[in-house]
Amino acid sequence: MPSAASTLIVLAAGGGAGVLGALLGIGGGVVLVPFLNLVLHFPITQAAAISLVTVIATSSTVAASRSGAHLVNLRLVMVLEVATAAGSLLGGLTAQMLTQSALQRIFGAVTFVVAILMLLRLNTRNVLPDDAETGVLGGRYYEEESGRAVAYRIKRLPAALAASFVAGNVSSLLGIGGGVIKVPALNAWCGVPLRAAAATSAFMIGVTATAGAVIYFGHGQLPALPAAAAVIGVQLGSRAAMTIGDRLTVRWLKILMAAVLFIVAVLMFVRGNA
Amino acid sequence: MTSAKDDTLERRLGWILRGGVVASTALLAIGLVLSFLPAGMSFAPMLLQAGLVLLVATPIARVAASAVSYLIAGDWMFVVLTTIVLVELGAAVAAAIHAQ
Repeated sequence: MPSAASTLIVLAAGGGAGVLGALLGIGGGVVLVPFLNLVLHFPITQAAAISLVTVIATSSTVAASRSGAHLVNLRLVMVLEVATAAGSLLGGLTAQMLTQSALQRIFGAVTFVVAILMLLRLNTRNVLPDDAETGVLGGRYYEEESGRAVAYRIKRLPAALAASFVAGNVSSLLGIGGGVIKVPALNAWCGVPLRAAAATSAFMIGVTATAGAVIYFGHGQLPALPAAAAVIGVQLGSRAAMTIGDRLTVRWLKILMAAVLFIVAVLMFVRGNA
Repeated sequence: MTSAKDDTLERRLGWILRGGVVASTALLAIGLVLSFLPAGMSFAPMLLQAGLVLLVATPIARVAASAVSYLIAGDWMFVVLTTIVLVELGAAVAAAIHAQ
């Protein structure tokens, strides 16, 4: 019989990752993977595989609940998915060829960058009047803060495609969602307002994670019981966070999270070089 | 820009995603509980596998549904794009099967 205690610990870890992910708008994978790998001693490929299935669940839930709000730019999703799925496919295959310590060092480097991005959160507004010409891939939505409809146009599509490819690659290599690369790129370089960028990225992440998860699954690197516990934990956690999220100021949490990520980066480097 | 059509598509894709996640989570939850009950241990692994396969298949179904919807609308540019994504996901599935 499998250990009930270890299953409960994975469930709780998923819950914590779900809360943080929902409150901070990043996937919880960036904390779940190091916890599973460094604390619970899952091989990093198994930790990544478990995290990827939680990413699929979260992305699908978020995408379903956001429908109708016009924040998801479906046409942009379909274009960028071509790049992100290719990146993800390549990442999943590459992960099979790298050693655990190489993956840990890459994880450390990426976590370091994520922590810095979190502290420098970009927010370029990018919105145009509602009657502006948006082009084929642009979008319009109702902006709650200003109480009016706004429009935006896509700039530098090749940059968005490149960022999606890299995000897909990093996502399946390390088991994180990749939104942390896509959202700032879409926002700062490609003219997408932050809320639309976040919603569009969250919608795409399910496909990104799927290509990676399938490959790990085929290599027998997705242990079913911990994966089930993590998926359920993450969903409970993100649901709980939605009820407290509005009342909580997340500024201090972002700073705390950045601090945690710096520590994770250092630990991964130390372990990767041991 | 066919905003109304995009809205309908987004709602339909939302149903697929929600249905897939709810059904797979239910399978995983039942499988998880049964793993710890002597009576359920024999078929718990099957439920867990089914839940994981269904979860991973959900985004693939979403892309397939988008492709069909664009095909019906005659929006060829997006038929091509979604088909490429399906081929990429199919390649991942092929790599997974090959690994076994």
